[in-house]
Amino acid sequence: MTAARTLHAQLHLLDRQVVRADDARMVSKADDLELDYDRDGRLYVSALLTGPLALGPRIGGVIGRLMVAVTTLLRPEEDPAPRRIPMRLVTDIGSALKVGGDPAEAALERWTRVHLIAPLPGSGAPAHDDEPPPDRQHRGAMRVSELLGRTVTDAEGRVVGQVADVRLSQDGHLLGPAANALRVSGLVVVPRNTGQLFGYERGPGGAGPWLVRVVVRRLHRGSRHVTWDQVESFAPSPEIRLRVPASELADLRELYSTLPST
Amino acid sequence: MKKLLGVTLGILTAIGGFVDIGDLVANSLVGARFGMSLAWVVIVGVVGICLFAEMSGRIAAVSGRPVFDLVRERLGPRTGLTNLLASFAINLLTLAAEIGGAALALELATGIDYLVWVPGVALVAWLVIWRVRFSTMERVFGLAGLALIVFAVALWQLGPDWGELGRQLTSPPESEGAPTYWYYAIALLGAAMTPYEVFFFSSGGVEERWTRRDLGEARANVFIGFPLGGFLSLAIAACGATLFLPHGIEVGSLGQMALPAAVGLGQVGLVAVIFGVFAATFGATLETALSSGYTISQYFGWQWGKFVRPRDASRFHATLLVTLIIATALILTTIDPIKVTEYSLIFSAVALPLTYLPVLMIANDPDYMGVHVNGRFSNLLGTLYMILLLVVSVAAIPLMIATKAGQ
Amino acid sequence: MRRALAVLAALAVTSCSSPAWDHHDYALKAGMTAESAASDVEFVRLAVQHEPDLTRPYLKTVLTEAAGSLSSLNDQFGAVQPPSASADAMRDQVLGLTQEAAEQVQDLLIQVRRDRIADPAGAAAALGEVGAELRAFGEAHR
Repeated sequence: MTAARTLHAQLHLLDRQVVRADDARMVSKADDLELDYDRDGRLYVSALLTGPLALGPRIGGVIGRLMVAVTTLLRPEEDPAPRRIPMRLVTDIGSALKVGGDPAEAALERWTRVHLIAPLPGSGAPAHDDEPPPDRQHRGAMRVSELLGRTVTDAEGRVVGQVADVRLSQDGHLLGPAANALRVSGLVVVPRNTGQLFGYERGPGGAGPWLVRVVVRRLHRGSRHVTWDQVESFAPSPEIRLRVPASELADLRELYSTLPST
Repeated sequence: MKKLLGVTLGILTAIGGFVDIGDLVANSLVGARFGMSLAWVVIVGVVGICLFAEMSGRIAAVSGRPVFDLVRERLGPRTGLTNLLASFAINLLTLAAEIGGAALALELATGIDYLVWVPGVALVAWLVIWRVRFSTMERVFGLAGLALIVFAVALWQLGPDWGELGRQLTSPPESEGAPTYWYYAIALLGAAMTPYEVFFFSSGGVEERWTRRDLGEARANVFIGFPLGGFLSLAIAACGATLFLPHGIEVGSLGQMALPAAVGLGQVGLVAVIFGVFAATFGATLETALSSGYTISQYFGWQWGKFVRPRDASRFHATLLVTLIIATALILTTIDPIKVTEYSLIFSAVALPLTYLPVLMIANDPDYMGVHVNGRFSNLLGTLYMILLLVVSVAAIPLMIATKAGQ
Repeated sequence: MRRALAVLAALAVTSCSSPAWDHHDYALKAGMTAESAASDVEFVRLAVQHEPDLTRPYLKTVLTEAAGSLSSLNDQFGAVQPPSASADAMRDQVLGLTQEAAEQVQDLLIQVRRDRIADPAGAAAALGEVGAELRAFGEAHR
């Protein structure tokens, strides 16, 4: 068996377009990822979360809270959850995330169609519209955005930095007929709040242009890679505690000199 | 002819950037005040927009992902939202101005006040977006906008002193101060590289279902469309420099800007130029309206586009409808359509780097591009333009305030 | 923050008519008014000279614009308080010229609304005179 595929939550999954596998219709953005525990007690990606209830908390601030508040107000449920697309439906992870089957339609799409677009002549809409089935309220253990940006402290309580990305490896239990679950295998920790990595930290040569790569790498020098085994606890305290001292953490650059690129 | 029909997307896109309502007047004014001394900015702008439009067209053809999709994907939801708000403001202000511009062209043609035409123009624009196929739309308005070539013919008929025009290329007139000169340099560059061009161009590529096989067509669109737009803009400036500069006329309206065509070619020229102005501003109306729908839908991941029935992209069409209504209301307040485009420069300062940086990054990402990643030349130029755009964004607002928007 | 900047910029851009502080400032304003008026007059002269090449709706539209622009220049400058009695002469000179220009353009507009311009050559010559005077004044006070 070849080495399991390694992906990064932020770089490869979050904010990618989700499309239907059979006709490339756009479904949504991957606004967040739902994490759950498998039978061995390891975290894995259980679903893509979409819609304002998933996006709002990631935007944060007044706009983010407003987004969540308005959506909560308009949804009929007592305590609405974001729309979820189970990971077993995801058939391909590339420039878009392809999902099989027929994922449920967003409430706003339905509302605008029924009340605004369908009444206009030439919209191609049928006279009536079926009521969508009610969302099954499933909630995972946490969202990946709850890990991103968290402060990381080592065994001696010193701050190592903050989480810039979550490494996932595709070696979990079987989700569907062909796909293994994406297990959380580690964290990418950057020394200070220097924004995103844009993928320039990873990969052997790294992509161009040269100047952008140099600037991004320079901003993130001293970034570390933390394997999931090195994590002592990540809840409920606001920081993620490691069970090893910072000096034992691998430099991020070692990672791509030893691993084949994905 | 078939070849020409294949590049109308590039032509329509370029018209929205180089010769929309604000730029028609600005180009003429720049010619009248600065002669040809700002022509180099147009050249710099053409090269820049060609570079990034080529990248975004290539990304759209290879991966099927349009530009604003990439902005959110690479910059994340917060920075992406900042760009979305700035870009939407540009789209909305420009859309309002273009509706006003098309109405002004009708006023020049009929003598009936432009405000009377505004609701009609907006309604027809909406009907075109609602019903007309994308390829038909792009062909009709892209080709009709080419009527502006009449400025080049008129210039030749005006019989300018070519030596004098050539001398102006390197020497700005002494009567103008350096801040105003640089303000107009930045305004022209901002207009040439205005972000909605790449939003529209890359989304148009997806609308036309470009694939790897269409990379050649994408390139042809870029390398014919945008230089043509730049050429039209230079012809208008040269007409201004020939006819208005010697008389000290400061062009401030669409009517004034059209005069050289009449002087050079008589009534035929005047009719052609009014037709061309209408086609260009109406084309830009469609471009900016669609861009506002594209950016918002792509940020949120909604189904967008004219390649599906409206019922299958209802949030996209609802966005378009609401944007058009707001823009129409804005222009009906009798706000000057030409002034409106000047304010969009403020938002360009935010949107320019935040749009072109992710394009440059993704064009280098083998996950998306496979073997079609940027070559060294594109990357070198792309980096230089990123630095230039950063300078422009930093300098735009202070210069605007210092020169009272170039007065 | 960004919105505040936009408002600031809008204010900076629109604040064209502010009070004159002293004689020099008033002279500058007078010069700028004359320059702008000269630009309008010169444009109308150019249009009238090429009257056969223009359509009536076009002529009507650009003349309406020019007439509006001249009368608003006239009103705006007329509303600025001259800083001293000695500035009154300058005020009278500029307002005299802009009024003259506005009237000439208004006359042409009336003719165009009815039919065509009766004597384009004569009108152009008259506009040329006012334009030259405005230009000379503007150049003397910049």
